[in-house]
Amino acid sequence: MPVIVMASPKGGVGKSTCAVLLASEFARMGADVTVLDCDPNKSLTRWASHGAPSGVTLKGDVGRSEIVPTIRSADGDGKIVIVDLEGVASQLVSRAISQADLVIVPMQPTALDAEIGSEALALVREEEEALGRSIRHAVVLTKTSAAVKSRVQKELEAQLSGAGIDVIEPSLVARAAFSELFAYGGDLTAMMNDPEMVTGGKVDKALANAQAFTEAVYERLK
Amino acid sequence: MSGSNRLAGLKARPKGTTVEEVRRVDEVGEARGFLDRTPRKKPGRKPSPRTYQLHPKVLPEVGEAIASEAEALGITQGQLIERMWSAYRG
Repeated sequence: MPVIVMASPKGGVGKSTCAVLLASEFARMGADVTVLDCDPNKSLTRWASHGAPSGVTLKGDVGRSEIVPTIRSADGDGKIVIVDLEGVASQLVSRAISQADLVIVPMQPTALDAEIGSEALALVREEEEALGRSIRHAVVLTKTSAAVKSRVQKELEAQLSGAGIDVIEPSLVARAAFSELFAYGGDLTAMMNDPEMVTGGKVDKALANAQAFTEAVYERLK
Repeated sequence: MSGSNRLAGLKARPKGTTVEEVRRVDEVGEARGFLDRTPRKKPGRKPSPRTYQLHPKVLPEVGEAIASEAEALGITQGQLIERMWSAYRG
């Protein structure tokens, strides 16, 4: 089953949020999901400490030396491996990319995120050349506005498409529920059904966004 | 989207995991600034765990007796030895 790697040398672009959403949605679909938390900030470990959804197993503290054998051992029939990487340019990132079936590069619709995120895209292409095999990769725009598509976002989408880069639709909208997952643990469905969980936003909209995003990722894994 | 039967169709492609392939990936990454950023450990010998052994020539039971006496007096073993030295000299 596939290995999905979240990569961007820039921090705060939404790698961990993408990883949590994909892990919980694929687990809801019945997959056995292993999430590797390779980020020293341990965002996913914190999320799982509040309670990971059924079907999600987390492995933390995976470093440069362990990343390749850990992915290899986690991979298997009926399993999806999701790797959340640190927001720096490191060998850990380049090694994880080499093991990916799909590399997702999250970026906010800003010039800075696009510039730094493009380093990850360039690295994927160079690894493809060095390894002699294709590594599917795509960009997802994150923390976008629910109301309007900004001029910068439109320009960035046009630039990415013009450069032949796959852009995942839909983008991930800035939703309070996404960030609050890290405070409550679990998944959006549990959040929506639990009246004890108080969020500042619309969980149903967030769930619909996460499901559409997961569907778009699924299409790229077939 | 529901049902694990859809997921059953997902396949992983074979990937290289040999030392040579990892080395090539490292080279490509390094050329682009993706370096080994594993935190370096402090150089030098690690401090020995406390064994209550004051000196290799001090018998373990003597070392333990000194340690418990120092603890009972609320001082360090070194301070106790200083007192002992002072009593010996005096």
